[in-house]
Amino acid sequence: MPEAMLLLAIFAAAYLGFAALAISQDRHWHHLGGGRHCPRRACLVLRGIGWALLFVALALSLVRDGASFGSLLWATVITIGALSVVATLSWRVHWLRPMARLVQHLG
Amino acid sequence: MEQGFRASMNWLHTWAGVVLGGLLFAIFWMGTLSVFDREIDRWMAPMIRLPAAEKTFSLEVLRPMYEAAAAAKSPTFSVGLPTERDAAIRVLWRDQSGPVYRVVDPRTGTILPDPGTLAGTRFIFPFHYMLHIRFQDIGYWLVGLAGMAMMALCVSGVIIHRRIFADFFTFRPDRKPRRLILDLHNVTGVLGLPFHFLISLSGLVIFWATYFPSSWQVTYDGNRPAFFADAYGNVIPKRTGEPGGLASFDAMAAEARRLWDGSALRYVFVRNPGDAKSVMQIGRLDEGIVSSTYDAAYFDGPTGALISHRTGTPPVMSTQRFLSGLHFIQFHHWSLRWIYFGLGLAGCVLIATGYLFWLESRRKKHAQLGLKGVRIVEGLAIGSVTGMLIATAAFFVVNRLLPLGASALGQDRPALEVWTFYLVWLASFVHAWVRPQRAWMEQCWTLAALASAAVLLNWITTGDHLLRALSHRHLWPIAGMDILLLTGAAIATVAALRLSRLSRVAQVRHA
Repeated sequence: MPEAMLLLAIFAAAYLGFAALAISQDRHWHHLGGGRHCPRRACLVLRGIGWALLFVALALSLVRDGASFGSLLWATVITIGALSVVATLSWRVHWLRPMARLVQHLG
Repeated sequence: MEQGFRASMNWLHTWAGVVLGGLLFAIFWMGTLSVFDREIDRWMAPMIRLPAAEKTFSLEVLRPMYEAAAAAKSPTFSVGLPTERDAAIRVLWRDQSGPVYRVVDPRTGTILPDPGTLAGTRFIFPFHYMLHIRFQDIGYWLVGLAGMAMMALCVSGVIIHRRIFADFFTFRPDRKPRRLILDLHNVTGVLGLPFHFLISLSGLVIFWATYFPSSWQVTYDGNRPAFFADAYGNVIPKRTGEPGGLASFDAMAAEARRLWDGSALRYVFVRNPGDAKSVMQIGRLDEGIVSSTYDAAYFDGPTGALISHRTGTPPVMSTQRFLSGLHFIQFHHWSLRWIYFGLGLAGCVLIATGYLFWLESRRKKHAQLGLKGVRIVEGLAIGSVTGMLIATAAFFVVNRLLPLGASALGQDRPALEVWTFYLVWLASFVHAWVRPQRAWMEQCWTLAALASAAVLLNWITTGDHLLRALSHRHLWPIAGMDILLLTGAAIATVAALRLSRLSRVAQVRHA
């Protein structure tokens, strides 16, 4: 069971990481209710969070499966995570609104 | 200079894609299916839908088959032992009429009826790496060329992508077809790049001895077996012609297990069965690591004495075996197996959308100039993409329709299945050429019908319908196959409906 939970956590970290990176881009920032450009500070924060979450995903993969399976799992799961972010942005963009609003408030 | 370089990469990407796209799609599609080759075997050969053997079984059940192989002077006798994904024992040797293939139930030792199919491991998987073209290894070379092309396409695709980071997450399903297709091509290409690059590279690395033959040809004077004997430590005895017995299978297997701390065994392989100089090779099953290892123990056949054994790999070989292992996925990791399947499908989408973009961006211009290019490439694309999917579905359908032991026109059952696959594939190209306007839609309908029929026929011929399959652990592979077939049928139906709506809209506009 912890195996399955960890797998879910790895996917979640990859998904949220890429979501943060996507929101930091002008196009998606604007699409999600922000201004024309993502403000510099918000952009840096989002990218920081995004990369950090991808590293979290890597760390969790290595913990779950060790060096060889873990790196392979990470390299493939992040693609699935990124494709899921693309699908969300295309068909269920409101799912990412709360995350974008939060950053807009903080910014 | 920058412009010139990008333009030349664009040219390479476009033409390598158009010329080799069909081949690449076939290889990617068959590779994606090969991820579940054993599961496909179970679906196509109901006699091997066995529950896993509960206790260890005696390998002596193989003795009568071994005697038959020895009497037929077969050069080898090879046995694939059960794994989690495959509960049956698979035995192969040669007699005067050709290869003899048997599947054995390890729980009872009985020989199961001949499956009469090449199924996943003997048709789909070899198609993936050699296209079933044996002559002069041309199949391997074509696949190698496609693998190299895939890597070149990955790199040139990144170079010609104008806004790789700005468009990293961009897919706009509400745009015009041309834009939508390019978005999809870019997204699957860029996000799938690590997997696609790695899988093409590792695929090439597996066959290094074929693709870079001069290394061993020069050092070993062209003697491939001698080279492999050194590289892998194989013990290859010379046949004496004197008869000889074979010591206890179980005793040698027990000794091999002891050498590897009780590890499970993957295969048993005898060279020169029935000869005074026979050698039995036993391979280790290690599903717990990525590397595809080749640990093996060698025993003198008549006495059963251990000749030599190897554990682990030297550094250069370790790299090769790691890359091979991550390509072969013979390891135990169901999450990765499904991820590979999904990313393989993403690769198929990448290749198909590449074709579609080429067509959409030239359709108008070619029509104005009266050029034939679009029509030819469209025929090629339809046959390569939907045609390949239809041929695969037809392969499954005919497998459930033909009775065991069927033969026609001098062809046995496995050959009839394969003929069906190729003839249906060929027919899809003809159809695409004859009815270019409606071929995409009609082939989507055909695919939906065939995939549903396969599920229905599996139910009728074996009684293992979806609910039954889901409620028995050993039938989960059947359930998985049925679910994927139904999903495929649903997607094909949606695609066909959309295409028919589009064509109606186009007709109204023209009127």
